[in-house]
Amino acid sequence: MRKVAIVGGGLTKFGVRKATYKELAQEAGKAVFEDVPNLDKKDVDSLFLGSAASDRMAFQSYPAPLVAEQVGVQPNKVIMRTELACASGQAAMRAAYGSIASGLSDIALVMGVEKMNTPNMAETQTTMAAVMDREWDGVNGMSAPPFFALVMMRHMHEYGTTREQLGMVSVKNHDYSASNPFAQFQKKFTLEDVINSVEISKPIRLLDCSGITDGAGGIVMTSEDRAKEFTDTPVYIEGLAQCNMGSLVSNLPSLTTWKPMKKAFRAALMMAGKDIYDMAFAEVHDCFTIAEIIAYEDGGMCKKGEGGKFIEEGNPYVGGRLPVNTHGGLLGTGHPLGATSIAQTVEVIEQFRGEVPEERYVGGEWALTHNLSGNANVHSVLVFRRGG
Amino acid sequence: MPKIDLPYLLDFCPLQTEDFTRIHEFFTNLKEGKFTTTKCKSCGEILWQPRVVCPHCNSDEMEWIDLPQEGKLFAFTEVIHGAPLGMEDDAPFSIGIVDLEDPKMKVLARVDDAHYEDLEFGQEMRLKIITLEDGRVWFRWVRK
Ligand SMILES: [Zn+2]
Repeated sequence: MRKVAIVGGGLTKFGVRKATYKELAQEAGKAVFEDVPNLDKKDVDSLFLGSAASDRMAFQSYPAPLVAEQVGVQPNKVIMRTELACASGQAAMRAAYGSIASGLSDIALVMGVEKMNTPNMAETQTTMAAVMDREWDGVNGMSAPPFFALVMMRHMHEYGTTREQLGMVSVKNHDYSASNPFAQFQKKFTLEDVINSVEISKPIRLLDCSGITDGAGGIVMTSEDRAKEFTDTPVYIEGLAQCNMGSLVSNLPSLTTWKPMKKAFRAALMMAGKDIYDMAFAEVHDCFTIAEIIAYEDGGMCKKGEGGKFIEEGNPYVGGRLPVNTHGGLLGTGHPLGATSIAQTVEVIEQFRGEVPEERYVGGEWALTHNLSGNANVHSVLVFRRGG
Repeated sequence: MPKIDLPYLLDFCPLQTEDFTRIHEFFTNLKEGKFTTTKCKSCGEILWQPRVVCPHCNSDEMEWIDLPQEGKLFAFTEVIHGAPLGMEDDAPFSIGIVDLEDPKMKVLARVDDAHYEDLEFGQEMRLKIITLEDGRVWFRWVRK
């Protein structure tokens, strides 16, 4: 197995974009290739495209060759699209990892492209509800906000997690996204703003939710021996793991303890030979405020049930014990499904290179990214090391 | 300009007749007021939703068993904004997960006639069977 490196990446502006799916892909391609100037497009032998719902939200099936043409590559080893809902981008990275590690691919372009804002928002909500078991959960009005509302109210009930503690996650992540140029929300909010924002699915409010976001991004992955051709600061993938348990909401092992998350964190860190506190920072999947609270717990940063206390005591802030979501998370930067993991990875690249603003700079040698997908039934984790 | 008005394939409710599904009996039972699921004849596992192949032992020998039509409320929410197409006019509506006692399992469904504030952990709930305009059936929870 060859060691796999990420040598650069770039993103489009995230948000409600006056641009089509294909135009977002073009913008992302430009951003990637400008970040890796030594790369000749002809040397890209593989394209892995994370795209969760192009079929429904951009009415476009078979998007991989479409994106290849938009960005100007002609893959001759692997071309594929990965779909894993909110973790589609990390699924593409995982597929690229396997292909490079095995020697099949040498230079892979890994992209995430998602267009979610359409003239009819109810259609987007419908597509999101179909991420659940459509016939047995979606039919009952289940989609992401009601699911995480059930999780949140149970967590508050079982562990005494407070409305204020949950709100602090949103405040923190918007504080960081305010200085992130690609973020959907470059605006700070107060705890009162969060607690008084519009009710979406009780007890979840608007500022407990990540956005409905158009956005795209890409990274270039290659083997360790080729990495130095493109950068002085390669980012190595040292650990990766995934775990799935169940699908139907009624059958999940628990709403508030995410066993597949525990397993994925543990396995990815074990592969890297590291502990969670060896990480300089972690980018976790805060699709809703409660998801970040549970990530503190089941990601091994604190004891079960103490996620609320963990943020209240200042731990997940820049300068704290383990900074979490230094780029502003999904809450602050938006959540263009397939591009979300790519944005987290670009944050790792920029942190390691020292390219982020002072107020959220952490740097360090090690970092972790995490995505959950669907009803938190799949968890995907990557552990990175700074090279060079 | 010609008018463009295309429907999407956006109907959440499962197709229920023998032509479309092998678990049509669930729906005919529901029409008769019975809430049922499949139990594996080979390993004895009770399966939810009803299945045609047992995920535990791969047997395809199933029997239909009656489920209790009451239970205790485990978790609940009320959807205010963001309901999908076909349910927009229903919002606000509530959703709950109910614990059944025997067999021990959880069943998620819409909760009728109750706002979030009307609901409590452990509240006694009972099943309500609804009929759609086109004759299809489904189930919801209501307070007992
Ligand atoms: Zn069986």
